[in-house]
Amino acid sequence: MSAESNQDRTGLVESIERRAVSRPDSVALHLEGETITYKELNLRANRVANGLQGLGVKKGDRVAIMLPNIPEFVYAVLGNLKLGAITVPFNTLYKGGEILHILKDSGAKVLIALTSFAPMINEIRPELPALEQVILTGERNLLFAQPESTAFIQLILEWDLIKDVDGVYQKMGHILLQIVEGLGVKEAWYKHRGSIRVRGDKIASFVISEVEGMALINTVVFLGPLDIRDFLRVVWVPPEIRDKVVEPLTSVEQETGKKPVWDRVKETAVLAIEQGFRVDIKEGAMVRDELFGYEKLRSLAYKAR
Amino acid sequence: MKWKIFSRKKRKEQWRLIYKPDGDVADVMALPGAVVEGQVAGRYLLASGAIPGTVIIQGVRRKGLLAGVDVVVDPEAAAEHDVDVAYQPRGGRASLRPVETVNFEEMMLNASDEFVSVSTEPEDLACLLYTSGTTGRPKGVKLTISNFLCEQQSTQGLLDVTPQDKFIGVLPFFHVFGLSNVLLFALVQGASIVLVPQYSPGNLLRIIMESQPSLIIAIPTMFSHLLTLLERKKVRLPDTIRLCVSGAAPFPKEMIETFERCSESRLLEGYGLTETVGACCANPPDGVCKAGSIGAPLAGFEMKIVDADGKELPSGEVGEIAIKGEGVTPGYYNLAQETEETFRDGWFLTGDIGYKDQDGYFFITDRKKEIIIKGGLNISPREVEEVLLRHPKVKEAAVIGRTKREREEIVAFVTTREKVSALELISHCKEYLSNFKVPDAICFMETLPMSVTGKVLKKELTDDYQDERGIKPR
Repeated sequence: MSAESNQDRTGLVESIERRAVSRPDSVALHLEGETITYKELNLRANRVANGLQGLGVKKGDRVAIMLPNIPEFVYAVLGNLKLGAITVPFNTLYKGGEILHILKDSGAKVLIALTSFAPMINEIRPELPALEQVILTGERNLLFAQPESTAFIQLILEWDLIKDVDGVYQKMGHILLQIVEGLGVKEAWYKHRGSIRVRGDKIASFVISEVEGMALINTVVFLGPLDIRDFLRVVWVPPEIRDKVVEPLTSVEQETGKKPVWDRVKETAVLAIEQGFRVDIKEGAMVRDELFGYEKLRSLAYKAR
Repeated sequence: MKWKIFSRKKRKEQWRLIYKPDGDVADVMALPGAVVEGQVAGRYLLASGAIPGTVIIQGVRRKGLLAGVDVVVDPEAAAEHDVDVAYQPRGGRASLRPVETVNFEEMMLNASDEFVSVSTEPEDLACLLYTSGTTGRPKGVKLTISNFLCEQQSTQGLLDVTPQDKFIGVLPFFHVFGLSNVLLFALVQGASIVLVPQYSPGNLLRIIMESQPSLIIAIPTMFSHLLTLLERKKVRLPDTIRLCVSGAAPFPKEMIETFERCSESRLLEGYGLTETVGACCANPPDGVCKAGSIGAPLAGFEMKIVDADGKELPSGEVGEIAIKGEGVTPGYYNLAQETEETFRDGWFLTGDIGYKDQDGYFFITDRKKEIIIKGGLNISPREVEEVLLRHPKVKEAAVIGRTKREREEIVAFVTTREKVSALELISHCKEYLSNFKVPDAICFMETLPMSVTGKVLKKELTDDYQDERGIKPR
């Protein structure tokens, strides 16, 4: 680049920074009736730059962004520019193998993604030694529940019980593998964190989260084939990418030829958890405080908006 | 084994099972949430019976969808298809943080407002943008700060944006077109962007009507969706719109005209690549606009047509499009050989086949890698596709070559408006094409595989296509 052409150009973030000072209240972003001004935009980009720096990101490090068009995407791109970090944006529709390739090839140190991608990222994370931090945002979880197809197994445990996160991922993966095998599926496998698969297809999946100083392990097992067509009519997805929204799935029924009855699911799961955690499990009911919380959460969940 | 900690206790702990095989989707959230709330409450109220562990096993008796608060759901469609919709409450108690991750909002909350930008050089990388291309795995395109700055100047020369402009931010920002020509372009010019986090035709139209933008930069698929909605609802786009820009995939001439008529707005067609940080060529908004042409190079870019040896061809002759300029990538990340093969004497070889007319306007005919060679003759898939599209019952068409028993075959993949036989389509092709260009096989599809920008992913149509999405056992 010639020195001359360099002079009449301001850097990418400098012009935004200048505007944040000269016209602080002018609008930079609109989102569903809300606005974010240039001043706020610049301030939030500064916070991201500081936050990333605090996590060890330096000039020249790669920071991957896998987000839809939400304000956090904008803050992250500008934060990276301020920090001299290299943005590696990629398609939010990408799945395990594709993401793995990009993160590996770019040597990304940080990935910023939607919270709903946590299980998938978990699964590939051990193969990404360069990836030091996963930053999650957005309330875009999406879970399909269908009679005949989905069984949910959830464990609520004292945090002490899962202090060793790797150990618990290992243990829970094997419990889940044992459940799937107990239901008659052969050739299922579990490598690390995330999903139980048959060939490359997912048959069960789990994620461990922290909430209120407790651990919550959320698991879904596919008993029968999941028909996602109705769901995709409800959350609009372009027809040509419908088959890409959900990664390849299989189910107990598809692998064994028959759908297990619920009592067998219960027995198999209880046995596997009892053995895995060395505990006794007795059927019980919710106590008063819990029933109160249950009614409240249900009514919140179904509140029309 | 690492989990000795669990076996240390002598007496087995007793956990509780809550079993509900016939619940509904809200239970998936409410049951564990209630246990968490109950335990927390129990702790403070000193209630007896703090339970060390709870296992919930549950199924649903009705279809349901549990959605985060930011997911856009169509309640009418939900009712029509008997799908329960339950929302997770925002933040607060029920918000979970997957272990070993950082929460974006928390990171921002704990950080300072002040930051002094790290000093950078124009040739420093700003971005590594992965592009799938038509073959192989995604390649990382290196884009420097200088590339972006040059691109901002080129597009500003074309669109003349002011701080009063309001862009529709519907193109995904992870794609070069959205990142460079919408996000960074608008902000550097001091304009504003209306974010569209989740695309659906209805959602886009609603946001356009509500936000009254001045510029819509999008892809042909989105414009044609908009057109369908405008016609169905008998509405016009807001008067505030001064220009629409389409790119990333070809937009048929008739569609552009229909769109301009129905929307009463100008629609400009441009051309660009990840390797050129977005638009590098466009029809000028105030000059001559040639139908079917991608226009002329923007200021800062040079373009020419070259033959297989890299020699420039005169106007009218078909060859490969080559581009030069400060906006052009320095190359691919970790791929020295590919970089070397794609550049010749400082010119980037696009892989797009086309020609230039006497006025310097460029026209694209094909992708180089997609040209079918049959019996030593070159066949343009685009030419065959255009003939198929002329048939009233054909909606979309994609033509590829495939080797069968050591013989090259032309295969046409089509989606149709109504039922039509392969024989009818073949005889239709025979009417307009020389015999050797007529497809050997017609495959009827429900949809064609498409990229986010509406390009048909031909590699997914080939026999040896490997789905890279799954995770394979080692």
